Amino acid sequence: MEPAEQGGFLEVGRLLDASRPAPRVNLLLWMAGLLLLVVLGSTLAGNQFPFARNAVALLSLLAMAAMIGGMSAYSVYILGRYRAEQRQVEQIGEWVQLRRWPEAAVAVNQYLSSPSRNHGLRVQALVYLASVLGRWHRFDDAIAVQNRLLEEGMLDAGAESAVRVGRAMAMLREDHLFDADRAISELRRCPAAGSAGLFLVEIYRDVKTGHPAEAIELFEQKLTVLRDGLGHRLADVWALAARAYDLLGREAEAQKAFVNATLLAPAGELFRRYPEVEKLSGRYQPAPAPAEAA
Amino acid sequence: MLPVEAAIHRVLRDLKLTTVLKAALACAVVVCFWVGSDDVRIVALLGIGSLWFWLSLSSARGSRSAAESPALIARGQFEEAERNIEHTVRSFSLFRAVKLQALHHLAVLRHAQRRWQESAALARALLGQRLGPLQPLSRSTRLLLADSLLEMNDLRGTFDALAGLHREPLSLAEMVNLLAVELDYSARIGAWEPMMQDVMSKVQLAELMPSRPSARVQGMLALAARKTGRRELGDWLAARAQLLADVHQLASERPLLSEVWP
Repeated sequence: MEPAEQGGFLEVGRLLDASRPAPRVNLLLWMAGLLLLVVLGSTLAGNQFPFARNAVALLSLLAMAAMIGGMSAYSVYILGRYRAEQRQVEQIGEWVQLRRWPEAAVAVNQYLSSPSRNHGLRVQALVYLASVLGRWHRFDDAIAVQNRLLEEGMLDAGAESAVRVGRAMAMLREDHLFDADRAISELRRCPAAGSAGLFLVEIYRDVKTGHPAEAIELFEQKLTVLRDGLGHRLADVWALAARAYDLLGREAEAQKAFVNATLLAPAGELFRRYPEVEKLSGRYQPAPAPAEAA
Repeated sequence: MLPVEAAIHRVLRDLKLTTVLKAALACAVVVCFWVGSDDVRIVALLGIGSLWFWLSLSSARGSRSAAESPALIARGQFEEAERNIEHTVRSFSLFRAVKLQALHHLAVLRHAQRRWQESAALARALLGQRLGPLQPLSRSTRLLLADSLLEMNDLRGTFDALAGLHREPLSLAEMVNLLAVELDYSARIGAWEPMMQDVMSKVQLAELMPSRPSARVQGMLALAARKTGRRELGDWLAARAQLLADVHQLASERPLLSEVWP
């Protein structure tokens, strides 16, 4: 049976445990010991049988050459496997970026179903797993993965901030408002403080908890930071701003914000990401798109 | 700041030196089996083994420290990246790949610092080497070279650097970078029709870029759309770009774009 077929598909607990790297044998020490043994053995044999000194020397040379050759072949094999694993994780990342979710889900499930050979690649794959789970609205599972990533402390500062932002968003989606509030407070104390990601989470929280005025205030104050930091995910901010304006009855501004949001991302995609924004559907006109983009 | 010529000279010299050293160590091992008394042979073999082991270990340590440079550059910590790269360039390494990667990292750093001439010189020096298992590095190095040359307004050089990249298996990140450089180049030579080929795939790739490059690419496509009579598409792309960046700043960097936002 293939590893990917064991257990449930994208079963978080299983994937977290199964992907843990197996302890490694320190081959270098073994080889150093073996080398020493060959040198000592050949010297002893040379002393014991002086008449066969040349033959012993030749044999020792062959043994050492075999060891060095074997070691090199093993290194090439290990490097090849590492590169294959790296390509596998890069491919998952590309599918996530291209929003090819079914392919990403199958590949990440397969990759994490057996022990990883590298901590860094496993961490990267777990980050992608959280994205896939979020996409399929399995937010509690996504939070479990993100918590594990943060607990294991293997993320660099940038990745940690991104995971914390993702976790806070997932908590808001799952209505864990108390936890989300605490996560946002933590974000303010980490390198993500003042980042576009944090502002996006705060705006979403304000819209979700019925504080549209605060959401608009933050949006208007931080629009430049949001614009520079979010790329096309700026569509999310415009969509949430549209909802906030709508809640305040500022319909002209809501319409303009909704047009800007739908210029950057299709309305259906935005409704999928934020159910609160779906309430704008049919009440406001999306941006007209050219035939090529339809 | 590490002078580029000195860095290239140092790396090339070290590459030759390590080749000679590795050959010398291998010869010494062989000689040890045939020459001298037993005691001397044991001591010599152990000495050579220990030296090789120590050199490999210190090279591996250097390789780990060198691997941090791309993250430092990405975070904008240029001074730290500079120190890290300089340390890798100046320290000894048995591994050819470490030295070549240091050269690549320095090219990326100089590109990020907008020192186009130096970045191009480093990229050219790297592409002149036998890369072996680092062959995939040649694609990103050529992209770096093409972009630096484009910034220096060397259109012929840009064309040469880009030639053939389409036929190579590119990663998504490389495809995105190639698109940005290629559209910039095509706009400068007025190749509007080729820019419009498969335009929506290009737009999708642009959506994966950070705000500013995405806005620039969509601005270029907007210009091409208008030049080829696709006004509606041009307006849509221009409006998207306008949301993503300060268009006056974009136009000041690429005067061609002032036609999109007069």
